[in-house]
Amino acid sequence: MNQNPTTLQLHQTVYASLFAALIAAGAFLAIPIGPVPIVLQNMFVLLAGLLLGPRWGIAGVGIYLLAGTIGLPVFAGGTGGIGRLLGPTGGYLIAYLPAVWAVGLVSRRTGGRLIGDIAAMVLGTLIVYGLGVPYLKAVTGMPWAKAAAVGMLPFLIGDALKIAAAVPIARTLRPVMAGRTAALQAREYSRG
Amino acid sequence: MPQPTPLGFRPGRSIPHRLDPRFKLILLAMVGIATLQADFRGLAALTVLILAALRHTGIPLASMAREMRYFVLLLVLVFIARALSTPGEALLSAAGVSVTREGVLAGGRVCWRPACVAAAAILFVVATRPSELRGAVIWLLAPVPGIPERRAGTMISLLVRFIPMVLDQARETSDAQRARCIECRKNPVARMAVLTIALLRRIFEDADRLVAAMEARCYSEDRTGPAFGATRLDWLVLLGAVLFCAGLFLVP
Repeated sequence: MNQNPTTLQLHQTVYASLFAALIAAGAFLAIPIGPVPIVLQNMFVLLAGLLLGPRWGIAGVGIYLLAGTIGLPVFAGGTGGIGRLLGPTGGYLIAYLPAVWAVGLVSRRTGGRLIGDIAAMVLGTLIVYGLGVPYLKAVTGMPWAKAAAVGMLPFLIGDALKIAAAVPIARTLRPVMAGRTAALQAREYSRG
Repeated sequence: MPQPTPLGFRPGRSIPHRLDPRFKLILLAMVGIATLQADFRGLAALTVLILAALRHTGIPLASMAREMRYFVLLLVLVFIARALSTPGEALLSAAGVSVTREGVLAGGRVCWRPACVAAAAILFVVATRPSELRGAVIWLLAPVPGIPERRAGTMISLLVRFIPMVLDQARETSDAQRARCIECRKNPVARMAVLTIALLRRIFEDADRLVAAMEARCYSEDRTGPAFGATRLDWLVLLGAVLFCAGLFLVP
């Protein structure tokens, strides 16, 4: 393993850690819409895929899950521990890994176009529910209809709003990050 | 002016501060596992211990409760759902809906367990320096194949450092936008986008400054970490925790 990361690697490492922190802090950040606050946590998972790409997106989410697994208070509501991964909502947390990878991959493959970003986030959301709801059913023994009613349907409107918000966020911040990356690559090239 | 958040390290000389970080990591894992089995008496004993330790470290419990308000709201909703949906002996009935004794007990149990884990985890974060956390994580992950433990340790210590920074920046950004009447905008998508773009721009700038500082200090993943040494206090606390957790399993 490279013991002295390049500036670009160091930037990506810090950004991946930053997104892990955003995902953790996202459970405490909410936009109050009427009586129900919309929590931003899973929007940051989608944004990690869009802005960091599949590899560093996975690194960020992986660090978030690792920190939570060893007991740090990063899961929703400041909890942590292996019990959360084995509990009813563990499937959603584990699903963040393939979801962020898929979002990053589809977004990169479609060149960051609007329709590609939307498709990537819809796919990521489907992966989260595709793993989370069966896991919830398996752990709690609920019937399929109840598992979907409790673990998916109430959140779909909020998810649609988060995808709608993530599109302008990614389109605003991607050029900023790309500019930084290009500047770092040029600096490393000039250093030889 | 950023307000201190309970989700970050606070310097001190309390017993939790003085414990070896490796032992603290093990204790935290033990609390997580023990609460899976514990019932009301065990949870009550654990809560008393954790609250006493939190108070001993000097954390303002009121600000901690304020920071956790959404979590508390979630627990209240889970409790109400359990109390209303679990069949059993009715304690209270109105408009065809009953609060059952079994529901209240199940809801109390389900909500109390994560609350204990959250409080123990906050205690750990408050009493452990990020550099010590990095060292403890490297020690923990070293035997695990496939994980670059040094990079993972650095990233986890950065994650712990960033959480209070993100919360502070979010609070400041939110206050600034509220002062500009953001609440007059009813479109939730616009509100989410406006808040997040401003927040991410600011914290990316902070992250860039951090990278520059790390580079200026010749950051290397191979740097020497803090030296750990177990003391009698560490072993005594670990022994007490093992006995306590064994008690929770044997007499729930």
